[in-house]
Amino acid sequence: MPQFSSMINSNAGRISAAIFGSFITTVALTVCITVVWPFGDTIEKIFAGGTFFFVFWASLFYWAILAANGKKAWLRILALFFPVLAIDIISLIIK
Amino acid sequence: MQQQTHKTLYSSHAWIGIISGILLFIVTFSGIPALFDHEIEFWQYPAYSELDEKKPFDLEQSLQTAKAIDFTYDNFFIQPAGEINKHITLAYFTQDKEPDIRYLSANNYQEFPSSPSEISHLFSHLHTDLHLPNPWGRYLVGLSGMAMLLAIIAGIIIHVKWRKEFVMLRPKRSWRLLLTDQHKLLGLWSLPFTFILAFTGTILGLLGLISPILALAAFNGDVEKATVAVLGPTAEVTGEYTPVYPLNELWHRLEIDAPDTSMELIQISGLKLLTTKGTLATDRGGIIKFSGYHKNKLSNLESITYNLSTGEKIHQGSFIGKGPFQRVFATVTPLHYVLFGDVWLKVCYALSALAGCGLILTGNMLWLHRRGHGMAHWLSKLTLGICGGLVVSTSLTLALSQALYGLASPEEHHHLEELGFWGFWLLTIVLPFIFKDGFSLSHYFLRITAAGFVATLVIDGFLHGRWIWMSEGWVFNVQTGILFSALLFIYLDWKMPKQATIRKAAESSSNVDDSEFDNAQAS
Repeated sequence: MPQFSSMINSNAGRISAAIFGSFITTVALTVCITVVWPFGDTIEKIFAGGTFFFVFWASLFYWAILAANGKKAWLRILALFFPVLAIDIISLIIK
Repeated sequence: MQQQTHKTLYSSHAWIGIISGILLFIVTFSGIPALFDHEIEFWQYPAYSELDEKKPFDLEQSLQTAKAIDFTYDNFFIQPAGEINKHITLAYFTQDKEPDIRYLSANNYQEFPSSPSEISHLFSHLHTDLHLPNPWGRYLVGLSGMAMLLAIIAGIIIHVKWRKEFVMLRPKRSWRLLLTDQHKLLGLWSLPFTFILAFTGTILGLLGLISPILALAAFNGDVEKATVAVLGPTAEVTGEYTPVYPLNELWHRLEIDAPDTSMELIQISGLKLLTTKGTLATDRGGIIKFSGYHKNKLSNLESITYNLSTGEKIHQGSFIGKGPFQRVFATVTPLHYVLFGDVWLKVCYALSALAGCGLILTGNMLWLHRRGHGMAHWLSKLTLGICGGLVVSTSLTLALSQALYGLASPEEHHHLEELGFWGFWLLTIVLPFIFKDGFSLSHYFLRITAAGFVATLVIDGFLHGRWIWMSEGWVFNVQTGILFSALLFIYLDWKMPKQATIRKAAESSSNVDDSEFDNAQAS
């Protein structure tokens, strides 16, 4: 466990949060925007999520990489990931 | 900005550049010939420019000719003559087989042999999928666009003194300062274009990756349903055949249904070209889809689908007047492929892409120089071999391809030019690992590139009598572009310092501590 903790807290942990964590969170965020976007038809909802997919990814990447350490980077990413994942699951179940 | 934030962004900018730089160079540089895909194709094959002037497009005659030349598919594409070309293209694509593509004169609708060269496709495929299997090549290109976007964002934030850096070039100081200034100058001046190219390229490259995710969210994972919703319906084959609605009437009706739109592609599904009476028949569910660009809008992708049997309009795809996100999305393709504006805008894109290439090279060299590595480092050799080699190979392949018109049979032509392209590139990748003097090799690469472009023009003149001073129209434009490229590489060879000059400059300016100067600038 201490080994895992130090791995997460390391520079590698910060970079993995910035690359992989931000990607997974971006996917969840994109789905979330697509399902909850209140304006326009279905196609508009798809593009609301999809068009700025890369902007979310880039923003999350830098948000994670600018964290003081790997643990904080993962906390930032997961703090967004779990709420949007919850919204995704609830929305898809209701649908 | 906090020093730690600056340092992290600086280091992210550098590492993203180093990790993705070479791949990014390949994608960016190959984008230049890909941008002029149609122009190069038109210039290269004399038969295209020798065709008689085009007449107004006759869709029915095109289909009758297709039938006459045994082009009997029920699902195919027709591309009318465009602004550059004077020919109509008939194309049939199928998985795992070579596409069947025929060319008709837009004047007399006679078939003529297609160009034996595939050089413009060779370059454009390198840009779109790196000649890797689908869809991995495209994803890799999309990821390189993402890396470019990340590097640009960090680059903008860390260069706080951009007003000063817009005009700062100190050629007489150290090699490192020269590289730093060039990197900043190229980055700042080309920023709007490189940002657009990176943003749109990332979307185009990774669209296939996110489409299923979005289809899952909006259409319960039904990708086909999502595709139909965005792109329009496909033909529903019933097996019942009826006469075809007068197609020229449909072509003229487009002026009312889709005004100010230049139709570039026609897709026909469900048409039966072989009938006993010699007339065209269609499946009752057959469709004809016209796709093109609105002439006055940026989000200009337009399509309109009619039933082939009744002529009834069954779908109109237009982003004009739609929600903001659809309109933003619809600008991606026009912005990336310059489907608006005129040829000068394409030239601006090409120059910015060249600046982007310079940006990547100076970035790599700066990273190496800051760590005290010279041309002996493997990354220096790899950068010179792959990036410089691609430039050399492109110019030599152009010359080779022109020479092959006189030396090889049409069947061998594109195989030999492909062999030449990969062969030249492989050779130039190996060369830096054999010759120790990388600086001299860089100069040779620049000279060979310039020589390749000049040779292209000379061979074209000798073989086809198309000397630049005798040419006109698009042939002249492309030849001028090639001449300009040759002159540019001669200029770069002349201006790029020799290794001895750099050593001398370093000795004479030894009293100036460059690293201190750079650090002061960075902070």
